[in-house]
Amino acid sequence: MPTQKAPSDRTVTRQATQWFAAQGLKPQAFQRAAWQAYLAGRNGLLTAPTGTGKTYALLVPILLEELRATAMSRSPRGLRAIWIAPIRALTKEIEASAIRAITGLGLDWSVGVRTGDTTATAKRKQKERMPELLITTPESLHVLLAQKGSSALFADLRCLVADEWHELLGSKRAVLLELALSRLRTLAPTLKTWGISATIGNLEEAMDVLLGEEQAGQERIIIRGETKKRIEVRSVLPPDIRAFPWAGHAGVRSVEQVLPLLKESSSTLIFTNTRSFAERWYQRLLDVAPDLSGVIALHHGSLGRDLRDWVEEALHDHRLRAVICTSSLDLGVDFRPVETIVQVGGPKNVARFIQRAGRSGHQPGAVSRIHFVPTHAMELLEGAALRLAIDEQRVEQRMPYVRSFDVLCQYLVTLAVGDGFRQEEIHAEVLRTFSFRSMTMEEWHWVLGFITTGGPTLLAYDEFQKVQVEEGVYSVMDRGIALRHRLSIGTITSDSAIRVKFIGGGYIGSVEENFVSQLERGEVFWFAGRSLEFISIRNMEALVRKSDVTKGRVPSWMGGRIPLSSQLSAVLRRIVQRAAEGEEQDVEVRTLAPLLEKQRERSHIPYGNELLVEKMRSREGHHVFIYPFEGRAVHEGMAALLAYRIGLLTPISFSIAMNDYGFELLSDREIPIQAAFDSDLFSTAHLLHDIEASMNATEMARRRFREIAQIAGLVFKGFRSKAHPVRHLQASSHLFFEVFADMDPANLLLIQAREEVMTFQLEEARLRKALERIAGQHVVIKECKGSTPFCFPIMVDRLREKLTSEKLEERIKRMTAQLA
Amino acid sequence: MTGLTIQVRGERLRLLADKAVYWPARRTLIIADLHLGKAMHFRLSGIAAPAAVEQRNLDRLDRLMQRWRPAEVLLLGDLFHSRHNASWESFAAFRALYADVVFTLISGNHDILDPERYHQAGITCAPFLLRGPFHFTHHPSPQAGHHNIAGHVHPGIRLAGKARQHLTLPCYWFGASAAVLPAFGTFTGLHMVRPVPGDRILAITGDHVFRCSTEA
Repeated sequence: MPTQKAPSDRTVTRQATQWFAAQGLKPQAFQRAAWQAYLAGRNGLLTAPTGTGKTYALLVPILLEELRATAMSRSPRGLRAIWIAPIRALTKEIEASAIRAITGLGLDWSVGVRTGDTTATAKRKQKERMPELLITTPESLHVLLAQKGSSALFADLRCLVADEWHELLGSKRAVLLELALSRLRTLAPTLKTWGISATIGNLEEAMDVLLGEEQAGQERIIIRGETKKRIEVRSVLPPDIRAFPWAGHAGVRSVEQVLPLLKESSSTLIFTNTRSFAERWYQRLLDVAPDLSGVIALHHGSLGRDLRDWVEEALHDHRLRAVICTSSLDLGVDFRPVETIVQVGGPKNVARFIQRAGRSGHQPGAVSRIHFVPTHAMELLEGAALRLAIDEQRVEQRMPYVRSFDVLCQYLVTLAVGDGFRQEEIHAEVLRTFSFRSMTMEEWHWVLGFITTGGPTLLAYDEFQKVQVEEGVYSVMDRGIALRHRLSIGTITSDSAIRVKFIGGGYIGSVEENFVSQLERGEVFWFAGRSLEFISIRNMEALVRKSDVTKGRVPSWMGGRIPLSSQLSAVLRRIVQRAAEGEEQDVEVRTLAPLLEKQRERSHIPYGNELLVEKMRSREGHHVFIYPFEGRAVHEGMAALLAYRIGLLTPISFSIAMNDYGFELLSDREIPIQAAFDSDLFSTAHLLHDIEASMNATEMARRRFREIAQIAGLVFKGFRSKAHPVRHLQASSHLFFEVFADMDPANLLLIQAREEVMTFQLEEARLRKALERIAGQHVVIKECKGSTPFCFPIMVDRLREKLTSEKLEERIKRMTAQLA
Repeated sequence: MTGLTIQVRGERLRLLADKAVYWPARRTLIIADLHLGKAMHFRLSGIAAPAAVEQRNLDRLDRLMQRWRPAEVLLLGDLFHSRHNASWESFAAFRALYADVVFTLISGNHDILDPERYHQAGITCAPFLLRGPFHFTHHPSPQAGHHNIAGHVHPGIRLAGKARQHLTLPCYWFGASAAVLPAFGTFTGLHMVRPVPGDRILAITGDHVFRCSTEA
């Protein structure tokens, strides 16, 4: 045996520096810091924006660790490191970087990619011989855990890196990863965990979630790789504010002002908030400037993967002048920096805006310039708010999901489908995750019961079968159940999407079922930037052919609306205060002057210590508008709360609408708003009870339950192939919600749905704070004759909630059935 | 449980809030789409639908039997949701308690059990039934000369009011020559129907049946 000493970290690091130098590069300070910390055996989190060398900050020390170890003895081949990428598109690039570094440092590692796109053959080969570096997604990692014999694959695993961790953090995909990690830490006791994140407001917490309790106690470190960049926000000002619409219009009116920006610059990204806005912008740009045809493209989440891949590549190779996109281009895709960034509509979130701005001006010291296009007049204020928020670096937090029992149910079945598990061991592991650290023994047993006996049952002959327990080992025996489970692993749930295909073949993308069901044969609609004629629908596929008609409907997709963040709301209130005081330091406020004057004339502009309430009558009924400027999410809860409390005074039914500035209560009878204000309307006493009591919360929980039912395996989306028919096994989550609420109210998944509504949708903590702030404000009630610039965008909003304190019978008497 | 009595072709029909029709002249209880065994079918496939659903359906049916004491129960199809499972035996045991009552099933698309099982349980099967002025079927199939009464659809109605309010409820749908009954089964969904002017829509709110006004 050679008694060779292990090379020092200095020695191996020198190898890396030399490799960098050979390419004319020098390791940056944050890269060196990461190398050092990693080689010292620490866990941690690295913050670095896309395109700054963050991959090598962690990839290199993983390889150096191998160099250090192989100098001693050749270790057997097999999985050493897992690199988690949030989207498939990112894996290719990481693979390329990894291969470069492996070759450069003279290692003989193999690199494998494993995602939903990986072929069955490739997956089989991987299982026979795992690559040393596996690039994968949280879902594919779980699919791996659902394979028999998978536990043995992780024995020599040294590290897991979660790339773009901030993206995963605010979703249940993070919980998936936490659970997988809790298993891996047992299977590979020396595992190190690292995350790479953009700047967010709660980095410490982000690290805690990733590392779990086990590694939280060990030495850990946050390495900051970002350098502060200058960002300049330029609002695209309408030439005549008087002619500018008061309510949302996708901002397409501003196309002609954006066009010169686009022509002056070699590359432009136009971000819109929704997919349908992106479609409309693309269409409008081509209308106005047909010469752009072929050099601009569209990119959003409902387009087919092939189409998106093509756009990403073309953008990378500078073959496109401009891409109109949604948040689909926010992460990954490390294309070269573009020259110009345009943001259509308020981005609602400072962190996201900064990230988008970072897509331009990558040279050190360069200014990132981002052009903000308002979609309605008052939104111009958000331009000023963004500038102020960026100045003051008010970056949002990403709230992690906790106690997601749906994900836990799924995970336990995953293990049962794989190598099986013993509950004591897994219980201990699960308790060490951030998400489930507060789980009680009762809850754990409920989850075990859910997967083994199907919840409480009083039936004499129950035939529930899923996970069976034999000699203390939980496993799935039924092949059909195992197959169905493997196919439904993951937490990304989609609405029943209809695939859009050309009649001659060729997949374009997907739209919601709801949209397709409204189409008549021969009707033309716009999708993927093309004019398409609808022919028929078959097996969840809409068949279309190309059309020459230039006018057509544009599909809308649900879930496009992001609420204004708490950080941005606070800043926006300061801008409104400036407007109220007539301070004109912001160009946006100056531009809006005629409109603000109208608002003052017809109603009022609230000062910081005032809450504005507008009352009016229209053909639709009695309207009350209230403007807390707290963002859509908080307004939703507040409106429901107020409606409920007013309903206690008198039987009344409301329909509710809101935007980020305020909300509306609309009723067919007079709303006793003054009396309501006199009776402590905004009190935080009994807050939870009152929200729960409002019908609204139930309705919202029902909607939340859709996702939960799917993740927990209650609702099965079915197979795309016809080889596995699912006879009579389809029931909507809605139906499950009803029967659980009725017959099994202690169902943990039901409770989870309510908790999610409180935490994530109504943002109860934020709502409470907002109510406390409002309680100290002076209420200004204005009776208005016609609509005001403030209320108009809310009034025309068609997405409405309802709430009532009237008896059902009373309401029905005043309603009519809708006829064909 | 209250209901509402309507006249159809000179016959009085009592539309019950528990999603069943009582025809006093013939002492017949008419029920569509029970979908028994559905929750159990899900459970067999590893989907934890609440087991209590099965008992709930039988309890509701039992209450109706006690209250109306029918001579016959006419089932308009989709009595059992899937292939055989333990819930069928519970139902057969339940049916045996009412030995003097005739059970007739108009077979629906879900009724795929071995015919022997229906026979053993004392259930007469028929593809359709003509009785009095009525033509009973599973799928709605209006026919000249008779008033069709069917199930299958699981009808629901969307009501709209001022101030953009709306509401969705299960309903009875009586047209000029055909009627559709609501689905009886607890674990069944709704399909929104589009009535035409002149149709009678009777919405069910849990305890009551309401005549809805229709408006173009």
